[in-house]
Amino acid sequence: METIVFKSRYYTAYQPEKGRCFFAEIQGKRIKMTFCQLLAFRQKVLSIDIDAHFNPEENRHGIEILTLCNREHLFVLDTLEIIDLKMFVEGIFAMSELHTLVSA
Amino acid sequence: MKDLVRQRLSINVDVMDLLNEQIVKEAHSSSVYLAMASWCDHNALNNSAEFFYEQSKEERDHMMRIFKFINDNGGMAISPEVTDIPHDFDSLEGIFETSLEQEIAITKSIHNIVLKCRKVNDLATESFLQWFVKEQMEEEQTMRKALDLFDLMGTDGIALKLIDERIPKIKE
Repeated sequence: METIVFKSRYYTAYQPEKGRCFFAEIQGKRIKMTFCQLLAFRQKVLSIDIDAHFNPEENRHGIEILTLCNREHLFVLDTLEIIDLKMFVEGIFAMSELHTLVSA
Repeated sequence: MKDLVRQRLSINVDVMDLLNEQIVKEAHSSSVYLAMASWCDHNALNNSAEFFYEQSKEERDHMMRIFKFINDNGGMAISPEVTDIPHDFDSLEGIFETSLEQEIAITKSIHNIVLKCRKVNDLATESFLQWFVKEQMEEEQTMRKALDLFDLMGTDGIALKLIDERIPKIKE
């Protein structure tokens, strides 16, 4: 049994009933993440310079190569997927904050 | 559903981001003081050089305090990248003016994080930052004391040497 933490256009985050971890579904691949890995993932995604995607001199092809969970997974994402990914990671933490507020 | 984020992280995640930005500022500040120490060393202002070496060390200690606080509370501290360090200075007075401006900028940044803590009810970080609020008051006072010496003695002739001799006492 698992609960959807947050779902964006391209990605979904789940939390299992048992076990202290998260699952993220990215490009059809299901990735298990510990909280530390989730934080590292958040850091990586939020530090992507999205403006560079609209400047052909900085990012000619409009793609981003993202490695996750100590380079266990590798993804090649386009601009739309990156924009959605940024909203996705923020959504996961926003939902957690909301949960804390509601259960307080 | 268990709140795994809260279970693992004692501080607010947005506050954690601000603390990571503060780490960069403290590291930058430490490097600027090091550049100032070097300038003073090259200009035979030995006491001022020693003062800025010490300032540089203090800023790094501040950075490490924040760094460890983030990691100790389940967050992820990011090792800072430091760039744009000025190495050209006009005068010792100019250096102290820049130092005061730098300390004021750091103070504002700390206050900004405290206000964010209040907004999101992150009492743990707010309490942790109280030490920094007090420390910044002292840092600003120190730089003002140095600038007072220039107002009092001027910068001509022997005055600069006399100011340099008095620099070790401004922290007392």
